Amino acid sequence: MNRKIVFPGILAVIVIIILAISAHAGNKSLMMATTTSTDNTGLLEYLMPHFEKQTGIAIKWTATGTGKALKLGQNCDVDVLLVHAPAAEKKYIESGYGKDRREIMYNDFVIIGPQSDPADVKGKSISDALSAIKNKQARFMSRGDDSGTHKKEKLLWKEADVPLPDKENWYVQTGQGMLATINMAQEKEGYTMTDRGTYIKYQSTKGGNAPLKVLVEKDGILLNQYSVLTLDPNNCPTAKHDLALEFSNWMASQTAQDLIKDFRLLGEKLFIPNAE
Amino acid sequence: MTTKEPAYHLNDIRHYYGDTKVLEIDTLKIEESSITGLIGPNGSGKTTLLKLLAFAVKPTRGIILYKGRPEVPFSPAIRSKVTLLTQKPYLLKRTVFENVAYGLKIRKDKNRLEERVKNALLTVGLDFQKFAPRKWHELSGGEAQRVAMAARLILKPEVLLLDEPIASVDTESAGLIRDASLKARENWGATLVIASHDLQWLYSISDRQLSIFNGNIFSTGMENIITGPFEQGDDKIVVKKLDDGQIITLTAPEKKTGIAVIRKKSISIDLEKQADQSFLNQLSGQIASMLLEKKTGHIMATIYIHDLSFVLRLTPGQISSLDLYPGKKVILKFQSTDVEWI
Amino acid sequence: MDFIVAGVAKAIALLTSGDAATWTAVFATLKVSTCSMLLSVGAGLPCGFVLGYFDFKGKKHIRTILDTLLALPTVFIGLAVYAFISRQGPLGDLGLLFTLTGIAIGQTILAFPIVTAITAATIENIDHDLKLTLVSLGAGKRHIIATCLWEVRYGILAAAVMAYGRVLTEVGISMMVGGNIKYHTRTITTAIALETNKGLFADGIALGLVLITIAFIVNLSLSFLRKQ
Repeated sequence: MNRKIVFPGILAVIVIIILAISAHAGNKSLMMATTTSTDNTGLLEYLMPHFEKQTGIAIKWTATGTGKALKLGQNCDVDVLLVHAPAAEKKYIESGYGKDRREIMYNDFVIIGPQSDPADVKGKSISDALSAIKNKQARFMSRGDDSGTHKKEKLLWKEADVPLPDKENWYVQTGQGMLATINMAQEKEGYTMTDRGTYIKYQSTKGGNAPLKVLVEKDGILLNQYSVLTLDPNNCPTAKHDLALEFSNWMASQTAQDLIKDFRLLGEKLFIPNAE
Repeated sequence: MTTKEPAYHLNDIRHYYGDTKVLEIDTLKIEESSITGLIGPNGSGKTTLLKLLAFAVKPTRGIILYKGRPEVPFSPAIRSKVTLLTQKPYLLKRTVFENVAYGLKIRKDKNRLEERVKNALLTVGLDFQKFAPRKWHELSGGEAQRVAMAARLILKPEVLLLDEPIASVDTESAGLIRDASLKARENWGATLVIASHDLQWLYSISDRQLSIFNGNIFSTGMENIITGPFEQGDDKIVVKKLDDGQIITLTAPEKKTGIAVIRKKSISIDLEKQADQSFLNQLSGQIASMLLEKKTGHIMATIYIHDLSFVLRLTPGQISSLDLYPGKKVILKFQSTDVEWI
Repeated sequence: MDFIVAGVAKAIALLTSGDAATWTAVFATLKVSTCSMLLSVGAGLPCGFVLGYFDFKGKKHIRTILDTLLALPTVFIGLAVYAFISRQGPLGDLGLLFTLTGIAIGQTILAFPIVTAITAATIENIDHDLKLTLVSLGAGKRHIIATCLWEVRYGILAAAVMAYGRVLTEVGISMMVGGNIKYHTRTITTAIALETNKGLFADGIALGLVLITIAFIVNLSLSFLRKQ
């Protein structure tokens, strides 16, 4: 009889201990939502320990698509955002979800594709390149997930006066992160649009000699601006505004900006700091 | 002198499985410390009756009095006082010792536990050293049934219900189980109700026999059953034709059909046919067996009429005056009106 | 194909080098899966018992609903749990989002129907003679329930093992509710998803092999309980 009481008793104790260990005991802690492309470059791994050491704030972040990151902020599940979708960010503030927007750094977008370049886009302007791809019906991989990158891509089609090839066979909407999309493009020998940071990361995973090359770049419109976005206290009274502001200030500080400038992958600069 | 209450008194019992009636007993009494044999084919309701007597199940309708008081399952008056041994040996998934000790442990009766388990195993002829540590799956069928018996005997139950206890066991185990059940009555006056196909054993130890067929009880013991198909004869007569040409005529049942019961006492036995009479059945057959009913000294004789078997209760006088023996050709006689339909 | 071979080598390297990221993921996985397995068994056992042992009106309907719950995709459960524990949700103030506790809750919901269904099936398959025997030996209602459960202990162990396997390998809930936060809520399965999405297939394989090793060790130790 006894063992029938003792056994479940021990189990209950184990469960409680495990749950207790899991519960976080945070002094100053900050929760951030950011995008997969930001996280995948490894910048945050490199940068955040400095932030923690200097401010004593323990920061945790979850990397998702831009759409979900904004949603998490809207739902007050996080305290601060680090995203790269300027138009959406401005609208966010207008809608009363975001408060302060601080531009921190930028890189640029590039069009990459196979060495053989079937649509002959190399060296062209972005609008000409996209028109060429459409005319040739060359395979093009899109993020298709309403992320910052995807929003940018849609803008570029518009600028090129090409209607969004939503239902075309050669236009592949992957619905996945940037690296996954690039890998798919490599697999199918197609073109895609990516931020340079992720492209360099992709290069590094292929040992520096990746099959897809940069074909279109340095067209002004290809700018990719990253900003820190704090949340509106009216929408999220329980979010940690002071700590979020501290984070925002720190990212714009000389220390952080220098660190960002020095961040390299395969010897290449991934981001250019441009905080004021 | 006060008359003792019977161990069981069943009244107006009707038991159903779903919509099917499986047991119908108007009244039944079983005396304390008696041994009652229960005879009947599979599916007759034997097991159901034993389950009701074991208070494992509550009858759909009717009341069962135990020692004069109405009782129900889990009532403290009958808990661990009334035990049932199933046909197929069933043991808990633990050692022999744990199985035998289970009943005592759950009523917190752990006084001299090992000694009592040892004695219980001894009663069924199992050596403690050898068998106590064995697991439930390390026993033969007969050994398992003996362990099950020991688990019940250790409780010194007031009632021991046995459902074909030796049907699936070897000869040696059968003997040990039979002896152990008798000892229960000898040692503490247990009431025994035993369902068995072993008629020889039943007739030799039981005080009376109950016969059960189609959920009906015949307290005069095994009566004679004639099943259909019957043909409609002239009005109010039905006829059963046997393959050897013989014909049985019976007064028709009220319902369209049924099963015909001919009471033993209605049948007479003779060596020759008499002149034909209407409504008198005279059937030729052969004596198949003769068994002694120890308590009364009567002889239970089974006679085959072609492929029907009839049972008669005969006195030793009848046996000797007609010079009856197994194999002898005889004539059975009974009136067409001497039939009960169920 | 060569990433599979590379993966095996990497798996050994990750485990033996004491790589912090890998080991925190391993412990995170063990913590949540063990918790949710114990909780789902604690809740599912009595429910499964009631479902299998008693006859009552609507029993068939409940069984149908239960079987449907077995087919819930993990992302769906993750989404549903998120709806509840998000700040906007009714349990928002508990701060369970992005915590291991939150994941454990979601996984418990995942495993509960499994344990209940298997337990119910095990109980239903109990030999009828068992109850008869127990009543004969004087068992009261509580003894009958306790002894019945002990008799079918191997079936219940099977239910626990199934539940454990299910929660150990799920991604949808861990990702949605946990947020895949490195060193905190990154489990082996979310780490595999991440590395695979980044195109680092060898790393994905490596972590997968780590997971299989853990599952093997757990099942090996459980096998000692099944003596029969």
